[in-house]
Amino acid sequence: MNTRSIRFRLTVWYAALLTALLVLFGGFIYFTLDRFLESSLREALSKEAATIGEALLKKINQTGDAYVKDEIEEHFAPRITSHFLRVTRADGSILYQSGPPQNGAFDPSRIPAARLGEPDSWREERLPDGKRVLIYGMTYSDSTTTRYGIQAGAPHDQVGGVLRSFLLSLAAAFPLIVGASIGGGYLLMRKALRPLDEIASKAEKITSRNLNERMPEVQTGDELEKLATSLNRMMARLDESFQHVHRFSADASHEIRTPLAILRGELEAALNTSTLTPELRETLGSALEETERLSRIVEQLLEMTRLEAGEALVELRLFDVSEMTRSTVEQMHLLAFEKRIELGFDGSQPLLVKGDPIRLKQIVVNLVDNAIKYTPPGGSIRVSSIRSGESAVLEVRDSGTGIPQEALPHIFERFYRVDKARSRQLGGTGLGLAIVKSICVAFGGTVTAQSNRSGTTLRVELPLEPTL
Amino acid sequence: MRLLLVEDEEKLARLVKRALVAERFSVDTARDGRAGMELASQYDYDLLVLDLQLPEMSGSEILRRVRRLNPNVPVIILTARDAVVDKVSHFEAGADDYLTKPFAMAELIVRVKSLLRRGTARREGILRTGDIELDRLTQQVRRNGKRIDLSAKEHALLEYLMANSDRVLSRSMILEHVWDQGFDGATNIVDVYVRHLREKIGDNDQKLIRTTRGVGYSIMGKDAE
Repeated sequence: MNTRSIRFRLTVWYAALLTALLVLFGGFIYFTLDRFLESSLREALSKEAATIGEALLKKINQTGDAYVKDEIEEHFAPRITSHFLRVTRADGSILYQSGPPQNGAFDPSRIPAARLGEPDSWREERLPDGKRVLIYGMTYSDSTTTRYGIQAGAPHDQVGGVLRSFLLSLAAAFPLIVGASIGGGYLLMRKALRPLDEIASKAEKITSRNLNERMPEVQTGDELEKLATSLNRMMARLDESFQHVHRFSADASHEIRTPLAILRGELEAALNTSTLTPELRETLGSALEETERLSRIVEQLLEMTRLEAGEALVELRLFDVSEMTRSTVEQMHLLAFEKRIELGFDGSQPLLVKGDPIRLKQIVVNLVDNAIKYTPPGGSIRVSSIRSGESAVLEVRDSGTGIPQEALPHIFERFYRVDKARSRQLGGTGLGLAIVKSICVAFGGTVTAQSNRSGTTLRVELPLEPTL
Repeated sequence: MRLLLVEDEEKLARLVKRALVAERFSVDTARDGRAGMELASQYDYDLLVLDLQLPEMSGSEILRRVRRLNPNVPVIILTARDAVVDKVSHFEAGADDYLTKPFAMAELIVRVKSLLRRGTARREGILRTGDIELDRLTQQVRRNGKRIDLSAKEHALLEYLMANSDRVLSRSMILEHVWDQGFDGATNIVDVYVRHLREKIGDNDQKLIRTTRGVGYSIMGKDAE
């Protein structure tokens, strides 16, 4: 799982926030419930005491003790409610005392006697067995001077028990709630972000070849729709500018090539005339050569425009770049041999690259041709193809005079010539290395140069096709 | 043989026509697509040379319509556009050959001739030029009966020159034929090979293989020596 994905991070944040809120909310409920339960217990107890006084003791002289006892038992059923009730006469004798509660929460006989004459009061008695009982004590005086002490109590546990079971159910529900909301949140997030995945995988497939395609339209009315729409507008603009480049390159080539074709045709026709003087023949021949060079320059410039417009990606094929290099070097052997230059190739490992073999071959041809041109007779050129990580690396190392350090950064620029007089004399177009760079870039690679007095190394790196 | 040339650039049309007429073809020319289409549907031409960017009706449209009328007539496309996509789509539309401007007139002639010959492909087993003999089957070359050892490329180069003897072949034609597109215009590999070939066949005075400055090379047939 990608722990940096929006989905994951949002879910984690959301789960953490939810947990914190649940804890806070649970605590709040707990304390409120505690206070509420205690105050309602107190209210119930004080009402019981008051009721005993007002309703039963008031008429005790008419009804008699036994009646009062029965009434209390019947009315308040302390055995069942686990309440403690005790009525004490002024002389300290007990008129009534509730029996031990059904659940054995406390022993009534252990609860200290009422102290008559004291104001109504709440006490919390801690029984010798450690149990805590909440006792309300009041003094009832009827119209005569007879006074009774009434005690009403309940084990404190009654509140605590409820709170405990509340906590228990909270603890049981907590992981369920958090778990369900994490799961639900994750799923919801996935649903909400799925268009993003679709947009991303679509965008991944867009190259200059299919710029007319568009992102899936998500009609959710949300940010994602906005994103898709913006991306589509951006692609429309890109598409337009690519079309523009394409049209320009087509128009420019037409406008330049047609006059060149005429020029060439005229010169050729003129050369075919048999009455030419040798000087004129030489002149026309030279003009023809220059026409051809001009054609080559135009050709290469347009080629670069096309490479930059991504047109090279039409004919992608999987092929062994190492083998291609080997055979190209072999084909160029004679060129080196002519200059008494030793040209060799190292590399045995097949290197699978996805690209256009003809264009990638041009890289090798241009680099080796360049090396031959700038290596003095008797020198050597080593071409090697090796694997380096995820790249196929082609190196052309010559024993030439090297390139001055200040020129190195510029050698891949169009029409840059290190030694202007010499390279033009060699008939170059000044575009050889620029073309190499354009081709490398078009197929996702790089080209770099290193040079010192003992030679120059040009290094091309192309992404390898992952082997299955 | 009657050829139709559809080309809107007047000067280029005149040059192409002159070169074709010099090869004893009779040539009709049209300056725009509509006129070209009219001529193509009226006469039964042996071959069509079509420019692509034409006023009135594009070369590709003419090609499509001509193919419907006559699927067999050879068509050479002349164009100033050479994107790979274009090339592929025109071969798909039924063009037989494709030349990018600027082209050498000799190249056009060679291609026209090879297309016209194609129907009755006659490939001789042994080529003879002067006192040189090249056996296509055994890959052997002899001069005055004496065997000469050539590398595969040298052999292919000599074979190409001899199969088109007396005709100037441009460097790009030779490259395309003997090598492949990767070498396009970048190197002097053709000149180097020609030099070696001359040495091996004992043509140091360049009487057999001649250089035409700015154009290319040709091998002299009958009138050599």
